Amino acid sequence: MSDERLLETFVELADTLVDDFDVIDFLHLLVARCVALLEVDAAGLLLTDQRGQLQVMASSSEQVRLLELFQLQNDQGPCLDAFATGIRVSHTDLGAAGGRWPRFAVAATEAGFAAVDALPMRLRSEVIGALNLFRTGRGALSVTALRTAQALVDVATIGLLQERSIRQREILTEQLQGALNSRVVIEQAKGLVAERLGIDMEGAFAALRGYARSHNLKLGEVAGAVIAGRTSTYDLLGAPAPTDRAQ
Amino acid sequence: MTGYGDSDTRLAQVRVWVRERAVSLGVPVSVRLICETAGARLSVSGVALTVDTSGWPELRCSTDALGERLAELHVTVGEGPCVDAQRTGGPVLAGDLDGPASQRRWPAFAPLAVEAGAGALFALPLVVGTIRVGVLALHRVVAGQLPPAILADSLAFADLALRLLVDEQAGMPSGSDEPAREGWPLYSPQVHQATGMISAQLDVGMDEAFARLRARAFADRKRLAELAADVVARRLRFDPTGEEAS
Repeated sequence: MSDERLLETFVELADTLVDDFDVIDFLHLLVARCVALLEVDAAGLLLTDQRGQLQVMASSSEQVRLLELFQLQNDQGPCLDAFATGIRVSHTDLGAAGGRWPRFAVAATEAGFAAVDALPMRLRSEVIGALNLFRTGRGALSVTALRTAQALVDVATIGLLQERSIRQREILTEQLQGALNSRVVIEQAKGLVAERLGIDMEGAFAALRGYARSHNLKLGEVAGAVIAGRTSTYDLLGAPAPTDRAQ
Repeated sequence: MTGYGDSDTRLAQVRVWVRERAVSLGVPVSVRLICETAGARLSVSGVALTVDTSGWPELRCSTDALGERLAELHVTVGEGPCVDAQRTGGPVLAGDLDGPASQRRWPAFAPLAVEAGAGALFALPLVVGTIRVGVLALHRVVAGQLPPAILADSLAFADLALRLLVDEQAGMPSGSDEPAREGWPLYSPQVHQATGMISAQLDVGMDEAFARLRARAFADRKRLAELAADVVARRLRFDPTGEEAS
């Protein structure tokens, strides 16, 4: 793990009091950096909303997204435990029989994962969510990786909850709730793009995210522009519209 | 009952309140009834609901004159918490309309709202992604933020109102319930992905695509999430001629 990249990530995650702060982009950054910097293969993040309901806010792949949803639907899994207890939870061999989350273990194994760690997003007594780190190989995550992961999560949590004035806390509540709707906009756009281009949801998401990155836009903005028709689905691929549409 | 999160409990509680009121008054569950129940149960001065079918907020109901006045003001000056909530899709919580933050944010709206007698205004958008259905607005004559529990209940009232309006748009009997276990199906991303796909298949907006999906689920007596999964897996296509091909 490169110290320089890690340092860069900490700086990025601490930078939340900016005017154009976007919760979704921020959480995607955290998830993406965990996969890039740590010895993990995938990551997903759940955040609690104002209603007290956990929501999948970011994931490194569609597969992980479905696994996170599986936890919510079945009311079991490491992320829920980490959120409920505020303590890190690990399972180093999901393929082994028994365990605390039998149904989750089967689903995760089917998805190709052998081990999982869930880290709470906690500041003092307030737990606002949890981060799941998945690995395809069995065994424990190295102590260094775990410490780094927890440090990244802590910085991100402080970034979200840091000493804000009452007005800033109000704004954060608005942003978090707004982010939930942005997630819906992104899903709608994924469906639209997937259908128009004849690709799967994963590919549609990659196209949206790639366009957002290369044009320095927020993911939610790009999704909205695609739905409104201001950005064409072919623009997303950086390719000219085909003359004969394969339909 | 296990498997129910706190939000389901709240939504269930709010639904019970609305039904109790409907029964005691001998009227059907309606958007108006939801507003009235919210006004009675939440510690606010009044509740108003605007719908946005024409691209312009239209007042559907208000529990008091101040609610009407605030809705009217939004239209007159073209800004305010409800306009922002509608635009961003997130709630806008103006705990102190007379404070510098609100006065700066809405230089035209805030002074007039205070003059009309409002101290705080909480605008909760009724949205499903880019489908902007309307806004539930709660106001108080005195300034002060909503405590978290009241805010959570308010959001549950908004969920219920949204659900009713969405049913209305899909031409379904108002208040028709999905199977109870399903909870609020809007937590399923596949519902929204399917909406996006249908919008491309039929070349219609998200609102109509979503209405078609819901109407089809209702007609087939299928769960919305299940039908959405079929669409996403490309086992079901919506055809512009009206005949859905499986």
